[in-house]
Amino acid sequence: MQAGSAAVVLETVTKRYGADTVVDAVSVSIAQGEFFTLLGPSGSGKTTTLNMLAGFAEPDGGRVLLAGRDVTRAAPRERGLGMVFQNYAIFPHLDTFENVAFPLRVKKAPKREVETRVADALAMVKLTGFERRYARQLSGGQQQRVALARAIVAHPSVVLMDEPLGALDKNLRYHMQVEIKEIQRRLGMTVVYVTHDQEEALTMSDRIAIMNGGRIVQMGPPRDVYEAPENAFVGRFLGEANLIPARRDGLAVASEGGALLESAHGSLGAEGGFLFVRPEKVAVAPEAGTAPGGPNRIAGRVRFAGFLGNVLRYEVDTDQAGSLIADLVNGPGAVLHAAGDTVVLSWSREDCRLLPG
Amino acid sequence: MRKPTGPFTLSRRSLVAAAAVAPLASPGVLRGQTAGEVIVRTPGGVYDDVMRRHVYDPFTKETGIRVQPVAATVARLLAMFRANNVELDLIDTGDGPLVTLERMGALAPIAYDQWHWTRPDDIVREVRHEYRCANFIYATVLAYNRESFPNGTHPKSWAEFWDGAKFPGPRMLADMASGQPNLEFALIADGVSKDQLYPLDIDRAFRSLSRVKPHIRKFWDTGALSAQMLSDKEVVLGSVWNGRVQTIIDRGAPLGIEWNQHMIQTQALAVFKGARNGANAQKLIDFMLRPESQAGYARELIYGPTNVKAFDLLPADQLARMPGSPNSRESGFFNNVPWWEDNRDRVNRAWSRWILG
Amino acid sequence: MPLSRLGALLLLAPSILLLVFVFLGPIGWFLVGSFAELGSLAEIWEETRAVVGSRAVALAIANTNWIALQVTFFVLLIGYPLAYALNRARGLAFSLIIIAIVLPYFTSVIVRTYAWMVILGRNGIINQMLLGLGIVSEPLELMYNRLGVVIGMTYVLLPYMVLTLYAAMKAVDPRLLQAAEGMGASRLGVFLRVFLPLTMHGVIAGSLIVFILAIGFFVTPALMGGPSDIMIAMLIEREIELTQNWPVAAMMTVVLLVVTLVLYAIYARFTGGRTGFAR
Repeated sequence: MQAGSAAVVLETVTKRYGADTVVDAVSVSIAQGEFFTLLGPSGSGKTTTLNMLAGFAEPDGGRVLLAGRDVTRAAPRERGLGMVFQNYAIFPHLDTFENVAFPLRVKKAPKREVETRVADALAMVKLTGFERRYARQLSGGQQQRVALARAIVAHPSVVLMDEPLGALDKNLRYHMQVEIKEIQRRLGMTVVYVTHDQEEALTMSDRIAIMNGGRIVQMGPPRDVYEAPENAFVGRFLGEANLIPARRDGLAVASEGGALLESAHGSLGAEGGFLFVRPEKVAVAPEAGTAPGGPNRIAGRVRFAGFLGNVLRYEVDTDQAGSLIADLVNGPGAVLHAAGDTVVLSWSREDCRLLPG
Repeated sequence: MRKPTGPFTLSRRSLVAAAAVAPLASPGVLRGQTAGEVIVRTPGGVYDDVMRRHVYDPFTKETGIRVQPVAATVARLLAMFRANNVELDLIDTGDGPLVTLERMGALAPIAYDQWHWTRPDDIVREVRHEYRCANFIYATVLAYNRESFPNGTHPKSWAEFWDGAKFPGPRMLADMASGQPNLEFALIADGVSKDQLYPLDIDRAFRSLSRVKPHIRKFWDTGALSAQMLSDKEVVLGSVWNGRVQTIIDRGAPLGIEWNQHMIQTQALAVFKGARNGANAQKLIDFMLRPESQAGYARELIYGPTNVKAFDLLPADQLARMPGSPNSRESGFFNNVPWWEDNRDRVNRAWSRWILG
Repeated sequence: MPLSRLGALLLLAPSILLLVFVFLGPIGWFLVGSFAELGSLAEIWEETRAVVGSRAVALAIANTNWIALQVTFFVLLIGYPLAYALNRARGLAFSLIIIAIVLPYFTSVIVRTYAWMVILGRNGIINQMLLGLGIVSEPLELMYNRLGVVIGMTYVLLPYMVLTLYAAMKAVDPRLLQAAEGMGASRLGVFLRVFLPLTMHGVIAGSLIVFILAIGFFVTPALMGGPSDIMIAMLIEREIELTQNWPVAAMMTVVLLVVTLVLYAIYARFTGGRTGFAR
C-alpha cells in the first residue's frame, strides 16, 4: 500500500507505561475504505494502539498519520474520527436523537443539517422512531445501533470501533456484524476495529493484524492468516488448530511419536517446530486396516465425539501425535463414529503447514 | 442565658449544644456517699473554677457533700419543671429567670432560719428575697477605648454616648438576645432621670435607640462577644458587664470604664421545689453567702458581694470598683427585675419590629 | 421478597426507634404541649395568624430566604470547582483538600466564628493588609453586616455542597467524557454538554441541602451579622430562651418545618431516582 493513498498510517508507534512496553514499534498502513481489524488477547496492546490512533494516548515513539497528516500530538477532537466505544458510551442525559446529533452539535452544525443527518444515520441503523428514547429505555442491541449511528453521523472518513459487540449475545452479534459491514461498504468508510473475537475478525475484516505482547505478529486477509499462520500463536489464536510437535528426520519430517509428516508449505525452525492442520482439513476413516499407509496418516481411538449441529467434532487419542481434533461437516452421508472407535486420521500435504517452534 | 442573664452565662449556643448532646450528669454516680451531693446549675466556664476554689471545695471539706456543677439553659430549667423531672437542686443564674420560675411555683423558699455560716441580716436587704437570694452584684457600664478617647475626653453619660457627632466611632449596645436591650440607657440618654425609669416607656426608648442606631456596629448577645468587640477595637464605645471589661483591662487592653449611670444587676441562688437534695442545696446557699466565700470569689470575678461583712475583707481599691458598693449606688441605679419579667414579651416584639423595620 | 423486606425493617428498627424517641417524640411533645397552652383551635389559628402575619416575622422570613439563597449561590460557586478539583486529585492532594474542607468541623462554631473576626474584623488581617498596601484608606466593613453573614454561612455550609457534588462527580463514567472528546468536543464542550448535565442532580441536591440547612441558621448570623440580619431561627430561639413563649415558638417552628419539608420533598425527588435524569 502506498503511503499517499493510505487513510491511516502508524509508523513504529510505541507506548510505554513505566517499564512495560505495551505497544512495541507497531507499523501499519490502512487503505481508504478498508475494514482493518486489530485482533489479540487482552493485554496484547490492541486497545492502546487504538487509543493512540484516537488521540486518547500519546505515543512515546513513532508517528500517527491520517490521510497523510501527522496527528501524533493532536487532540482527539482535531482528528475528525468517528468512534464506537466499548459499552457504547451513550450519554444518559440525552435522548437517542441528541446522542446521535452530538458530533454535529459540537461542530455547531446548522439545525437543518443536524436533522437530516441524524435522520439518515438513524435510518441506516434502523432506529427511526426511537428519537426520543433514552439509553435506559433501549435494549443492548438498540444502544449499540445508537452508538453506531453516532459514529457515522458526521460522515467521518475513518471510524474506530473498540470491541463494539462485546456486550451482545451471540445471535445479535452476528446480525450486527453483518449490518456494520454493510454500512461500511455503503459509505466507503475506513474502519479500524478492535476485538478479541477471532470469528468476528474473520467475518468482517478485509485485513487482520494479530497482536501479541505489544507487537503485530502477523497481518493479512482473513483467509491467509487463518490458513497460513506464520507461527503457532497465530495458528492457535485463530480458531481450533492441531499443532503436532515435529522434527526433521533426515530429509523427511516426523512427529515426536514417529509418524511421517509431509507438507507443501512452510518449514520447521532449527530446533524443530510443529505441523499445523485445521480440524476441518482432517479426514476421519473408520478402520485402520483398510487405510493405505503414507505420510499424514495417523491411527487413533475416538475419546470424545461431539455433536455441534452443523459440525461433528472428534477428539482422537493417537500414539504418534497425541490428541488430535477432526471436524466433519454434518453433510449428506456423514458417517458417525462413537467414542472408543478406532479410526485413521489423514490430511493432504496442501492443507497443512510446517511452523517453526 | 436569657433573662437578666448573668454576666457569666456561658454562650447560649454552647449550652444548647451541650444540653442536646449530654444528659445532665447522672446523680446516681455520686449517690451512696453518706453526706450526699448537690447538683448546681451554673453559668459554667471560668466561673466554675472560681467557685470551686472559693466555695465548692471548702464546702465539701466541711460537710462531705459533693458539689456537681452542670450547665443548663433557662429554657431547659423550665422544661424540667414542666415535665415534672427536676434533675438539679440549686440554680445559680441571673435574677430574672428566677423570678419567672418563682411565679411558676417552681421554687422552694430559702431556709434563712436554718443558716449557721451566714447571718441573714448581713445580706443587703434589696437582694434578699423569700425564694431567691443574690450571691453577687454586677453592673452594666459604659466602656470606652482610651486610645480613641484619651485623657478623659470620653463620653461621660449615656446622652454623650448617643452623640455620634461629638464622640465619633463605632459603638455597641446589648441585643434583645442578651436578655434585655439597654432601654434604660436609651431613656436616660433621652433625658429621663435614673430614679424615674420604671415602668419603662418602651416606645420612647426605641425612638431614642433609633437615634443611636446609625452608630451601632453590633448589638451584642453574649458577654464574650462584647468583650471581644472591645478588645479587637471593632467598637470604641459600648455597654458591657463590668467584670467582662475589667478582665481585659487587667490584661492590658487600653479600655476604660465610665461608672456614671451604670445599671446594677444581681446574680442569685434558688432551690428547685421537690429537689432530691434540697436540704444540701440550702446548706450550700448558706455556705456560699458567708463573708469569706463572698470576698474570695468577688475579688476574682470583680463583682460585688451581697454580704456587707464581706466588704470588710476587701481592700479599699477593689471596693471602689465593685458594683453595689456605696460609690456604685450613688452613681448607678438598680435594674428592675420584676418589670422585665412582666414586659419581656412586649419588649421582644417591639425589638423585632424595630430592628427589622 | 417479603423475608428480605422484613429483614431490612428489623435492621432499621433501632434507627427508627432512636429517631422516634430523640426526635419525633420531643418535637411532637413540644408542639402539642405548646399549642395546648393556647386552648381551642380557633385561638390557635388566631394566634398563628397574628404571629406569622406580623411584619417582623414576615421580614425575618424574607431575610431568611434571601440570605439562604445568596449563601446557596456562593456555596455552589465555590463548591463546584472545589469538588471538581477533589474529583481529579489523587493521593496527598486529595487528602489535603478533604482535610481542609472537613477540619473546621472539629472546632466549635464559636471558635470558628472568632477566627473569622480575626480575619475579617475592622482591625483584622484583611483590613490591615489592605490598609498597609494603601489599597483602602478606611477599613472595609467585612462583618457585622450581610456580607459577614454570607461569608460565615458559606464557609460553614461548603462541605455539604462539596461532598454532595463529589459523590455526583465520582459517579460520572470517565469514558463518557473521553467519548465526548473523541467525538470532537472541546474541553469546555465536554464540560458544558456532558459533565455539567451529568452532575446537575448533584448541584440540585447540594443546593437544596445547603438551602435547607441555611434557613435554620441562627448562630452565625447572630455572631457575624449586623443589627438587622435577623433570620427566622433567631426569632424562634428568642421565643424559647428569652420570653419562654413556647406557643409562638412552636408556630414559627411549624412554618420553618413546612418550608423545610417541601424542600426536602423536592430533594428526595432529585436523589431518589438516581437514574432519573431528564424525564
